[in-house]
Amino acid sequence: MMRNLLGAFSMIAMVNVTVLAPSMGLAAEKNAGRLYYQGFMGHLHKSASDSSASMTAIQCAQSVELVEKEGLSVPAGWKYGRVGEDYGYVRSKFLGEKRPECFQQKYPKFYNALNLDLADFYYWGRLSDHFIEGESLAQ
Amino acid sequence: MKLFVIMASLFISLWAFGQEVKTEEELQDEVIDYSSIQKVLEKDGLEKQAKLKKKIVRQIKIEKEKIREEKYNYPSAEEFWSFASELWLVKNAQELKWDVPRPDYGLRDAFRTLLEEFGYFNEKFKILVIDSPNIAHIGLPSNKGESIFILSLPFMRTLDLTKVDISLILLEDFFRIKEGMFVGNMGVDTSFIGKNFSKKDFNKQAMLNLLKSYGEVVYKKGFNFQQQYEITKKMDKVLKSRPDIWSSYLKVLRKIDHLVKNNLLYGDYSKIYPSPEMQIEWLSPKKKVL
Repeated sequence: MMRNLLGAFSMIAMVNVTVLAPSMGLAAEKNAGRLYYQGFMGHLHKSASDSSASMTAIQCAQSVELVEKEGLSVPAGWKYGRVGEDYGYVRSKFLGEKRPECFQQKYPKFYNALNLDLADFYYWGRLSDHFIEGESLAQ
Repeated sequence: MKLFVIMASLFISLWAFGQEVKTEEELQDEVIDYSSIQKVLEKDGLEKQAKLKKKIVRQIKIEKEKIREEKYNYPSAEEFWSFASELWLVKNAQELKWDVPRPDYGLRDAFRTLLEEFGYFNEKFKILVIDSPNIAHIGLPSNKGESIFILSLPFMRTLDLTKVDISLILLEDFFRIKEGMFVGNMGVDTSFIGKNFSKKDFNKQAMLNLLKSYGEVVYKKGFNFQQQYEITKKMDKVLKSRPDIWSSYLKVLRKIDHLVKNNLLYGDYSKIYPSPEMQIEWLSPKKKVL
């Protein structure tokens, strides 16, 4: 009985998504893989700009599900993806295929003892947006 | 009955979740009471194997303890300073006014080119532009092979600095970082860096003192005459191979000297970097006495 009910619900949900989504303006989206945040802390941005609003803060090694969306063109140097429930943009240079070795994981007790609050997380993420980073070439 | 099974499995999972995860060898060691069957084991020649197993278990326990203790490490000196400097920037974000839109000015390429021009390769750098005149420019303590700089937008604008001018100011700060001058001037206990606190409390006071001393150096102490002399002479020596850049450096110092003498907003600059006037003097060729 229960199984039948669940089956019926999922059928209705599927029909709703396929029939109603286009009419509601929901563009079809495709999962395009998963990358890991390589910096210490950062932000998932509302638009592809360092100064745009933060959708959520992201930490080292946090995964970002890349999303390809119909009609969405992502500027060079940026990736569009999902972190939890939030969708947004992250600079490509901060993303990598492998989980990085993070300071937070290497020194967990020290890091926790600092008792960083939400404002600290926010500003630390903003630091990576504001830093002008560079490196002189190898000899 | 169903309810009983659900409750029982819930309790079991909660109990299991709370337990320390043990290796297979440790579990076997707990289950088998070797002393009660010692004679049989001896007879079968298995005692040696049992001893070996005990040794492995002991080793595993030592390794596990080592891993547990390592979690209580303070960062090593190689990883501590960039973290501490960024933490200070985070804690002082509003006062420093760096979370504001900033121009690019092409600083990345200009400074990278200058480093390479004078043979400083494989050097990572981060420049943070602030919208406050309270700190004109400074290099913060950083990890090996890295540099973190603060640069004031009002300072750059007031002096109408070019990319090369700014890069030369950053190069001075770069040498101060390399010489460990900032850390040397902090005057706080940094002996906890790289140590372990698994058997004592986290030294929160040491971290607070350290962060406080950042402010002391940045706003009050700055650098002394001896340090300034060393940096100026270093710049002189390094830049000599490119007279055009050397001249730009001298011009920058003259601009700053004029600013600190005529603009009250930058009156304290000479307390942090004593003094542009002396630096110009140190750079100027000595007059020959006939």
